[in-house]
Order: sequence, then C-alpha cells, then structure tokens
Amino acid sequence: MSPKTDNPSLQVNLGSLKLKNPVIAASGTFGYGEEYSGIIPLGSLGAIVTKGLSLEPRKGNPPPRLAETPAGMLNAIGLENVGLEIFLQEKLPFLRKARCPVLVNIFGSTVEEYAELAKRLSAVDGIAGLEVNISCPNVKAGGAIFAAEPKTVYKVISKIRRATSSFVMVKLSPNVADIGKIALAAEEAGADAVSLINTLTGLAIDVQTRTPVLGNITGGLSGPAIKPIGLRMVWQAAQVVRIPVVGIGGIVTAKDALEYLIAGATAIQVGTAHFIDPRAGLKIIDGIQRYLQANNFPDVASLVGSLKIKKDTGQPT
Amino acid sequence: MKPKPIKEVKARIQQHRRVGVDYFRLRLLCPEIARLAQPGQFVMLRVSDSSDPLLRRPFSFFRIFPPQTKKRKRPEDEGALEICYQVVGRGTSRMTQLREGERLDVLGPLGKGFWPEEGRSLAILIGGGIGVAPLVAWAEQLRREQGKKKRFSKTSGNLKEVLVLIGGKSRDKIPGIREFMRMGLEPQIATEDGSLGFQGLATDLLERELVTQGHKSAALYSCGPLPMLARVAQITDQFDLPCQVLLESRMACGVGACLGCAVKVRDRTLRGALEDEDARAQGAAVHLEDRCGEEMAGSWREGLAPIIAEPPAFFRYVRGCKEGPVFEARDILWE
Ligand SMILES: Cc1cc2nc3c(=O)[nH]c(=O)nc-3n(C[C@H](O)[C@H](O)[C@H](O)COP(=O)(O)OP(=O)(O)OC[C@H]3O[C@@H](n4cnc5c(N)ncnc54)[C@H](O)[C@@H]3O)c2cc1C
Ligand SMILES: Cc1cc2nc3c(=O)[nH]c(=O)nc-3n(C[C@H](O)[C@H](O)[C@H](O)COP(=O)(O)O)c2cc1C
Ligand code: FES
Repeated sequence: MSPKTDNPSLQVNLGSLKLKNPVIAASGTFGYGEEYSGIIPLGSLGAIVTKGLSLEPRKGNPPPRLAETPAGMLNAIGLENVGLEIFLQEKLPFLRKARCPVLVNIFGSTVEEYAELAKRLSAVDGIAGLEVNISCPNVKAGGAIFAAEPKTVYKVISKIRRATSSFVMVKLSPNVADIGKIALAAEEAGADAVSLINTLTGLAIDVQTRTPVLGNITGGLSGPAIKPIGLRMVWQAAQVVRIPVVGIGGIVTAKDALEYLIAGATAIQVGTAHFIDPRAGLKIIDGIQRYLQANNFPDVASLVGSLKIKKDTGQPT
Repeated sequence: MKPKPIKEVKARIQQHRRVGVDYFRLRLLCPEIARLAQPGQFVMLRVSDSSDPLLRRPFSFFRIFPPQTKKRKRPEDEGALEICYQVVGRGTSRMTQLREGERLDVLGPLGKGFWPEEGRSLAILIGGGIGVAPLVAWAEQLRREQGKKKRFSKTSGNLKEVLVLIGGKSRDKIPGIREFMRMGLEPQIATEDGSLGFQGLATDLLERELVTQGHKSAALYSCGPLPMLARVAQITDQFDLPCQVLLESRMACGVGACLGCAVKVRDRTLRGALEDEDARAQGAAVHLEDRCGEEMAGSWREGLAPIIAEPPAFFRYVRGCKEGPVFEARDILWE
C-alpha cells in the first residue's frame, strides 16, 4: 500500500492540454461562460466548453425547446449560436479573462465548413483548443451524419487536423452501433482526444393534445437518465483508443464522475447538472479530491481506467 | 458589462399556506435575493432533492420584502420573498408538501422585470389567473414610488394613478385581491363564471376602460395566459399605448446559458434589417432555409409571392429568462 497522500494532485493531461482538475463544463449547458460568472468562480473549473459555434449565426429551432422526462430532459435548441464573427468580437474577450482553459465547440454542415472554422479559430489567442461536434441530433447541419460512420469521421477530422495545430477533441454521438470503431477513426485521423457522449434522440408526447411536446418533434436526451449509457460507451471507447477519453452524460455528483474516471475517462464534463445546481462542478471537484485522499491515490491519473473486472464475468453480453 | 449578481441560497421557509383550491403562498427568508429583487423578475426553485423532477421551476415575485435596517418587527422584515403558485403538475404538486422551517434552494433574482414607462400618468395593470401574482409586487412598488413623488423619484415622476384590472375563471382563481385593496387600489374584477365582479374577461374590462375613458397617457403592464396577452397586445396597439407583458416560457437554467426558453420577437436590429435586405435580394426561400431551419422556411415558401413583394417581419429568438420575462408587447410575434 502506498503512503497516505494528504494532497493528491487533481491535474490531468489531455494530450498536450493540461487541466488543473478533470471537471469541464459541457457545451451548450454553460453558454459562453458569462452566464454563470456572476454565480460561481469560473476559474475553479478544469475548463469550459462554449456553446456549439458555426461560421454563420443560427437562429435555432422553434419553441418549445425543452421537455422534462424521468430523471432527464429533452432539448431541441437547434444549435442556436451567434456565429464566428460575433463570438470573436463579443464573447471571446470575456472568456479570455475566465482564468480557465476555454474549448470552443464547433460544427458545420460540410467538411469544408468544419475546416474553415478550425483554421480561423486557430489564429486567435485565448482558446485552448477545439471540441468538434459531429453529433448534434437536433439539426441536419449538426454533423450527426458525420458521426455515424468511421469513414466520414475520418474524413472530417483529418481535414480539420490539416487546418489547425490546436488541440482537437472530437465529440461523439451515442446514436451509433459501434462506438469503438468511431473513436478509433477519430484517433487515426489525428484527434488529440475524444469526448462522449452527446445526447440521445428522444421524444415526448402531450397526451392531452396528442402532439409532440417539442416544436422540433424530437430532442436530445440528457441528465441522470443517460449515465449508464455514457458510462458503457466511455468504457468501450477507452478500451480501444490510446488518446484520452473525456466522459459526458448524466454526471451530477462526485460519485458519478468517479465512475466515469474508473471506466477510463481522463476527464469528465458536467452538463445538465449545472442547470439544477450551478455549483455542481465545484462540488464534484471537491468530492474527487476527498475520494483520492480517503483512498490513498496520489493523483487522478492513477484512478483512471482502474475498473476491476472478474475474468468469468468480464465479457459484455 | 459586468454580469448582474445572482445568488444561490438555501432559504428557510417562513410561511407556506393554501390560499385557494389549488393556489398556495410560499414565503422564503432570503435577504440576499430580496435586497436585489425587482417586480417582474423571478427565482428558480429546486423543488426536490431527487433527480425526478429534475429541473428547477421558475416563479415570479408575488411580494418582495427587502431587509429593513431599522424596525424589524415582522419576520419578513429580515428580507423575504413571497411567491404565489398554482398547482399544475409534478413539480408544483411536490411543492405543496414543503413545510415551514424547511430549507429550499433558491436561485435569483433572475431576468429583467417591469420598468417604468417615462412620462405616463396612469399605470394600468391587467392580469389573468395566476398571472396576477407578479402584478401585486409591481403595484406595491408603483405605490411606494408614488408616495415619494414629491421628492421627484426618477422612475415615476409623472405617475398619478394606478388602475388594476384582473380576471380569472372564478373568484377563487384570482390571487392578490386583498393585497391590492390594502394598497388602496380598487381592482376591477372579471370572472368567467360571474362569481365575482363583471362576468367576462379582463380584456373586456380593458376595452371598456379605453373606449369610455380614453386614457391617452396610460402605460400597460400585463401578465396572464397567452391568449389574453395576445389580446392585450392587440388592444394596446389599436390605442397606441405602451404595453409590457410578462411571458412564461419553458426554462432549464434560468440564467441564459441553455437557450431553451426561446421567445420569438421582431428583429429590429441592424443585423436583422440587413438579413432582411439579403433575403429580399436573393428571392428569400433558399436563404431563409439555412438561417431559420427547413420547417420554418417551408411555411414561408407556401406564401412565397407575398414574401418577395414584402418579406415577413424578420424575427429572432431571445431568451425568456434573460432578455425577458418582461417584454414590450409590440416586439412579440404572437402565433
Ligand atoms: C418567468 C416565469 C414566472 C412564473 N411565475 C409563476 C408564478 O408566479 N406562479 C405560478 O404558479 N407559476 C408561475 N410560472 C409557471 C410555473 O413555472 C409552472 O407552472 C411550473 O414550472 C410547472 O411545474 P410542474 O412541475 O408543476 O408542471 P409540469 O409537470 O412540468 O407540467 C404540467 C403542465 O404545466 C405547464 N407548464 C410547465 N412548465 C411551464 C412553464 N414554464 N410555463 C407555463 N406552463 C408550464 C405545461 O403545460 C404542463 O402541461 C412561471 C413561469 C415562468 C417562466
Ligand atoms: C440544452 C443543451 C444544449 C446542448 N448544446 C450542445 C452543443 O451546442 N454542442 C454539443 O456538442 N453538445 C451540446 N449539448 C450536449 C451536452 O454538451 C452533453 O453532451 C449532454 O447534455 C450530456 O451530458 P449531461 O447529461 O451532463 O447533460 C447540449 C445539451 C443540452 C442539455
Ligand atoms: S432557461 Fe436557459 S437560457 Fe433561458
């Protein structure tokens, strides 16, 4: 047994990107940082991922855009965003002062658009890297078609890789048959990390009016309800790639985060939980620290991928 | 611009009681928020510690008790907020079980509240059902400012009168009647079943007032069911009076981060105007499609001829929780 560590290190490395702790605010749930800055110290978080950004502004889908479901929620925002130009002019100056790394979540409707965004963003400072969203279920232009096949994932990511030398993380969709193959394709195309999962496509119906609750009919499911799926997929992806895996999906408490780390995630993202408790990320950081102390782990890295599987029950069914 | 302070506190429940068949009042001790709160703003309440129901629920301020430094006679003088809520579903049913003395997670104050319309001598408050609740807080503030008017309060320097028109399905579906009376306001009341006051709608009262009294110098402040607000907007447009409406939208975060609470408004910005020109120049349809989504463009394309002759008012979505919940009625695209 190793000596008891009073002050275990929370620092993690996502390839070239160093984070002071493994807790990241997830895209689309944290606005452009500003929205939560009056409530919590942003500088305490490991990193922030901004709302999905496209070259041109997008209006998003018609309301209602939200529906609550058991232990989760459906959203059909439709990737509403201010567009690259306004992002650079009006949002980035604030983010530069946030005192934590900022990852910009990007999407496009063509491979060229993705590459163009990557190129334009790599020329500005104050951005720690990109998270490439090839997985938004709510709009055709959200790139979900790219996420479905290893071939298309490879195509779009290798093009982005050639367009930028920045840190590139690829955000994967759970709406696929074999997550391992997709994650591998991203790695082979030159991604520095993969993050998963994005939301699952779902439906909610109002029985009184017999109409869909959402203006867009279907929406993306997030929140505690999706944790088992995210966890399983992170575990599967971490088995096959060598690049870091970032776990997302239903993380509300430190225990949820620990499960993801044990499953093989190097860092995790907190999404829906921030709506319920703006301090969720901070509490998770605290909880991880306490767990490491209590269980004599010198750092987070020694916990990552430490899942123990008994030989006779180890095969997925 | 520095973001406005938002507090996240565990507030003690000072009072919780039923005030009608499915109406309740909840008073929360939270000086931090009460100090900053403005009528028309709201709080997000975490109604359960479990993950079902998951999201917080938005509620307007029914009464605001800012902390009193000198006389602290009543418990609420320490700084409290009162909300009045109607039980409609899972979250609000759950709330009915909350007990006095318990603590509740409160996030606020959120959003943009009512603002005084400069140079208007009459404020007409018109509300329906549970939508009357936020008008009570606004009336209280207007009355306070009115009392101070000799000292030239900048917010309501010219305000001489407050007129309250309220309605609901029946007499027990209208909150705040007693509070208005206590302020010395005699609300005009309409009920659909005729159980109190005039039988009909609050908007009927408004029309009657405007037709018979003119009220050229009035400003309107309104909250209630959507069809009522749309009608109020229509009437005030006819009479060319400024009108503010408090709109409800579905919310997840309440702070502007999720973009879930979209409200469709006319786009009067320069960018909107330019896009409008663009759309005109390019024959609209294709262009609209990639900006607004296929569905929307589809519905516009059906009437393509008029689009080309005169493009529809360009719209954008704004956040109900941040740019609202109080909007200028003429900005809203009522559909
Ligand atoms: C800014 C704002 C201020 C509000 N102020 C008050 C207030 O002072 N008093 C009050 O009683 N209510 C107020 N509401 C409405 C209140 O938030 C909803 O009634 C509540 O969230 C419903 O929760 P539930 O879990 O009981 O209903 P759910 O089980 O979630 O839904 C039940 C039904 O309620 C309706 N509903 C759900 N959410 C909303 C919503 N956000 N707006 C309108 N209808 C909804 C839906 O049609 C649904 O069918 C306000 C809403 C907003 C956005
Ligand atoms: C309202 C909302 C908006 C989102 N927008 C984006 C987005 O723009 N880009 C993206 O990659 N993911 C987006 N997501 C997905 C989240 O980043 C995250 O992957 C998902 O919510 C699962 O995590 P959670 O269960 O912790 O919320 C969004 C999620 C929600 C709830
Ligand atoms: S509720 Fe999240 S942006 Fe308004």
